[in-house]
Amino acid sequence: MIEVKAVEKNYGSKKILKGVSFTANKGEITCLIGINGVGKTTILNAIMALTPINSGQILIGGEPIDKHTFEKITFIPDAITMLPHMTIAEAMEFMNDFYTGWNQRRATELLGFFRLNPSDKISSLSKGNTAKVNLLLGLALDVDYVLMDEPFSGIDMFSREEIANVFTSHLIENRGVILTTHEIGDIEHLIDKVVLLDDGMVTKEFNAEEVRETEGKSVIDVMREVYQR
Amino acid sequence: MNVNFNNRDPVYLQIIRYFKEKIAVGELAPGEEIPSRRELANKLKVNPNTAQRAYKEMEEQGLIYTEKNHPSKITTDIKVLGKVRNELLDEAVDMFVTSVRSINVPVEELLDLVRVKYSANDDKEA
Amino acid sequence: MKKYIKLLNFEFNRIAKLFVVLLGITFVTQIIGVIVVSKNYLNMANEQIYDERINKVQFLETYGQMSFLQVVRSLWFVGPIALCLAGVALYIFLIWYRDWVGKNTFIYRLLMLPTTRLNIFYAKITTIMIMTIGLVSFQLIFLPIEILVMNSMVPNEFRADLSVVEIVTSILELSIIIPGSVVELILFYGAGLLVVSILFTGILMERSFRWKGIFAGLIYSALAVVILISPLLLQEFVLNGYFYPSELLVLEIVMGLIVLGATIWMSGFLLRKKITV
Repeated sequence: MIEVKAVEKNYGSKKILKGVSFTANKGEITCLIGINGVGKTTILNAIMALTPINSGQILIGGEPIDKHTFEKITFIPDAITMLPHMTIAEAMEFMNDFYTGWNQRRATELLGFFRLNPSDKISSLSKGNTAKVNLLLGLALDVDYVLMDEPFSGIDMFSREEIANVFTSHLIENRGVILTTHEIGDIEHLIDKVVLLDDGMVTKEFNAEEVRETEGKSVIDVMREVYQR
Repeated sequence: MNVNFNNRDPVYLQIIRYFKEKIAVGELAPGEEIPSRRELANKLKVNPNTAQRAYKEMEEQGLIYTEKNHPSKITTDIKVLGKVRNELLDEAVDMFVTSVRSINVPVEELLDLVRVKYSANDDKEA
Repeated sequence: MKKYIKLLNFEFNRIAKLFVVLLGITFVTQIIGVIVVSKNYLNMANEQIYDERINKVQFLETYGQMSFLQVVRSLWFVGPIALCLAGVALYIFLIWYRDWVGKNTFIYRLLMLPTTRLNIFYAKITTIMIMTIGLVSFQLIFLPIEILVMNSMVPNEFRADLSVVEIVTSILELSIIIPGSVVELILFYGAGLLVVSILFTGILMERSFRWKGIFAGLIYSALAVVILISPLLLQEFVLNGYFYPSELLVLEIVMGLIVLGATIWMSGFLLRKKITV
């Protein structure tokens, strides 16, 4: 489980996170939803210790993050985290060099799944394919948790579909996923849990299937209620 | 398999309904193997946990059964299968009746109209 | 340790191109310099001897023999060295900032590697050191080749032959880059390492706190310098030459090690707790 507890974060005098708390379970897809600039990316960065927090606590599997945690959790930011002049094969080699959890069999499978050519240079790829390589580099790691920042934004419809397919495949099976999005749209049926963010706070945390069952509401219905209050 | 799920009903119930419809029209035969929960989730583009829940529920209702280390299969229990058909029919008629009742039509007139439309539809399809 | 070596290898490969380009420019420019300076001398000799009709001995008495020092003092020789120095100086900053700037978010990857983040610091500072020492080593290899070129152009009797050691020791700037003794080498390059590590810490402060970090970095650097030269200041103003020079040297080395340790600790702290992508 990933536990985010009362996390506060300021940029200068501006408060970005004002006491954010939520949990994300293993084996579930948790979706952080909020308009742009609400602090979604900051939360993911904070979980990965890529930016300091002013107060609060973040636990991964019950423990604060350290260097070994990076074999258990991976983060796929919205831009690719490899040097543009590297080829896909070189990027995979880099990952293999540094992570004991790199699963080359799965990487090869993902290459086929996304129909990518390993000898292509990253800088020469389309936006959609760059996003796929970024995803590949994260998903081919044998980790318990995967964080993804806006995996669907700014890419073409077909790439979106292909990426959405990942979520229903064995590539995600039994892992805990946290993803951010500013529009729930076509992934409504893919997610287990929703964490709504507004103005640096969690306004609601719920199970998508549960509110459909008990309240007969869609995720968007709940969002409408929360945001139009 | 292409299903349009609505966003307000629980997805697992929609999956069960989808299976019931297939059973009722005979597209899924008694004893037929059904996809694994993973395959189903992938085909329907839904969360695997939801597919899992649908299967669990169907198992409890006796719609499907699983022998150890085998894929799940549609039940061969005639009683259960008959119930599925009746249940769907009931539901559809209920919905029809509810919406028609507001127009306040005598039942005989309504039945005549239903007969005409129903057979006209058959002709078109034939 | 294994991850450090891998990171170092990776970092060095990233600058290999620049390294080769700098070496190429240095070699080519210096060789051209040798040819141009030698040609100028020979032309002058020809003019004097054939046009002005003075004999060789008189010419040599007036103008002297040509030595390699004339080449070394020319812009052809010093220019590329200055360029390399500037390249290294720039790279001290670039080696960090290029991982943040633009569309490149490689810093995410580096910070998420399953290894202590100080290894990034170590790999980057080692790269700078290797680059510096590499450039100097190649300069030492280039020198005899350049001397050979000059010797092939200028006849024996017009030439004052100097060994590489004589050349290096007679030019102050060169003798800093290429120290004469092992102790000097360790001292000069140790001081260099210290300066680079202080600069790195300053950069990490800026990356952690942005604008405020720049001030923090400047204050930190100033503090480090003050601590470093505190024995010298004491010696000069308080103790009136109480220490022997050798004692002072040992004190300076100790202070250097203290500052280096503090700097590495501070960098590790910043990378672990304060850095932001």
